[in-house]
Amino acid sequence: MEVRSLPISASQSAKLISAGYTSLSSLSSVLPSHLAQELGISENEAIGILKVASQRGGVEITNQTHPTIVNGAQTAWDMLHEEESCGHITTSCADLDDILGGGISCKEVTEIGGVPGIGKTQFGIQLAVNVQIPSKYGGLEGKAVYIDTEGSFMVERVSQIAEACVKDMQEYDSFLRKDLPADQVKLQPYDFLANIFYFRICSYTEQIAVINYLEKFISEHKDVKVVIVDSITFHFRQDFEDMALRTRLLGGMALKLMKLAKKFSLAVILLNQVTSKYSGGSFQLTLALGDSWSHACTNRIILYWNGNERYAYIDKSPSIRSASAPYAVTGRGIRNSASKCKRVKMM
Amino acid sequence: MNPESLLQRPLPAYTQKCTIGCPILDRFLEGGIPCNSITEIVAESSCGKTQISLQLLLSAQLPTSLGGLSASSLYLHSESPFPFRRLHQLSLSNPTPKDPLDNILIHPLHSADHLLDLLSRLDSVIVNPPPQTRFPIKLIVIDSIAALFRSEFDNNPKDLKRRSSLFFKISSKLKAQARRFGLAVVVTNQVTDIVDSSDGVRVGNSRCLYSSGRRVAAALGLSWANCVNTRLFLSRNEENVGEDDGDFVRTRTRRFISVVFAPHLPNSSCEFIVAKEGVFGVDRYNAIHCQNRELS
Repeated sequence: MEVRSLPISASQSAKLISAGYTSLSSLSSVLPSHLAQELGISENEAIGILKVASQRGGVEITNQTHPTIVNGAQTAWDMLHEEESCGHITTSCADLDDILGGGISCKEVTEIGGVPGIGKTQFGIQLAVNVQIPSKYGGLEGKAVYIDTEGSFMVERVSQIAEACVKDMQEYDSFLRKDLPADQVKLQPYDFLANIFYFRICSYTEQIAVINYLEKFISEHKDVKVVIVDSITFHFRQDFEDMALRTRLLGGMALKLMKLAKKFSLAVILLNQVTSKYSGGSFQLTLALGDSWSHACTNRIILYWNGNERYAYIDKSPSIRSASAPYAVTGRGIRNSASKCKRVKMM
Repeated sequence: MNPESLLQRPLPAYTQKCTIGCPILDRFLEGGIPCNSITEIVAESSCGKTQISLQLLLSAQLPTSLGGLSASSLYLHSESPFPFRRLHQLSLSNPTPKDPLDNILIHPLHSADHLLDLLSRLDSVIVNPPPQTRFPIKLIVIDSIAALFRSEFDNNPKDLKRRSSLFFKISSKLKAQARRFGLAVVVTNQVTDIVDSSDGVRVGNSRCLYSSGRRVAAALGLSWANCVNTRLFLSRNEENVGEDDGDFVRTRTRRFISVVFAPHLPNSSCEFIVAKEGVFGVDRYNAIHCQNRELS
């Protein structure tokens, strides 16, 4: 933006230009006294000019050394601090938490995909429970939004996993706080169910409508710390003759979810199916929805079978390195793989 | 439709289930066939999938106090003619309300498109059931889904794509109806033999499924596997039980039902028998199995 366009007197703008201040950004870090001296005007007049300039271009009059040029921008330093302060949701599998740097990160969109029966929905339910772990146990003490597009969400399983979660907290209490009575955990499995906002979606139009509505919903329920979509894929694999339209709809949805994640510092989990892709003369397994979708999520975790063990592989992440870790689906939920921790094999 | 209305609150404490007509099998399935989702029964022929389906048609009519849905059911069949005699035989030995056959609607299926067409007209049948049925329809059985797709589609990319698009359409319609009316949906599926030595795509709890000593996989492939919520597998195996006169080998058929994947069931299996009176779980195995569960 040009100095010429500022609503100031012609003589003032002439003086500015002849002194070399042609653009608004050149005025951004100038002190009023300095400007007054250079242009030969009073300091009050200089403050007036800078005020107008700041209103126009977001330039602030300040005596600090690094003013913000664009409103709303953050320095990388600030962002690093913020990232460190915003939490993670544990997966209840310590090995997986380790390679994820503590669990599923808030403020990010994480995609989890795998074959049917690998445990995608189990991860979804586990995270919907774990987000509610009270802060004194290292949790986020938040609530969950569960968008179920496939109908695999079973309340019995939620209760089972919640019960195990309560038991773990009680165990923790009895280990570390022997002075306190054992029944410190006041959370009941039923409370966990009550803190999950469950949407059952039966078509892609409903899916888009609910995701558009989420911003309003979450601004009314600020304690929501995770949004789980199980699965993002199902309704988009049916009836799309127009693949470009599908790509646009999915892209729009991903952007909305990313914005939500940032705005409310919550974690977004998108579960995805796998499909076989014909390339180079053979069929290979890939996550569904195609290549353009693979750019939509910040993190991508692929679940797969390795022999008789389930593994999670970090396929894509801007901040952590690729690695894989075994996990198990037990009666109590997602846990460390039994073969590794030498526990009694569970079911 | 407004998005607010899609929020379910409060969540029910449990999912309604439909008894399968045997306490041991019910325990194995933690109550029976769940409503609001699709349960698939995969098996080769003569394992008992039609037997279980028929028994369900009767047990769904039981009052909720006995684990049923007090409901009529809709049976869509695409394979052999409907086994009326067997259903009648079962109805004699199963405790059901009066005239149980009046509460079972039967319709043949000719093709996948025919099924899709039927599903889109299902609302009107469910809302206005035929006058002789005394209960609302709460159970749909499709026997079998595989038969609809066996002949019509070629093994080329275009047909495969059309086929999988149909899978998702059918599944989505079924799930939407299941959700809307609280239906239990049971779909049976066939198996295909695995001939090559490669492992293929592993779906579910066990690396490969065995029945009659052959390695098999559920028909219709990976896309369809994404379309069902719960997959159960029935297997049968002949077992030699001593020789008779040297010429004949006496064999006994043992049947097992196992969980391939399910959101609410652990990896487990249960032996069952098919008798004149119906399908029953075998307690001997189940007792040991329960013990194992308690131990873990």
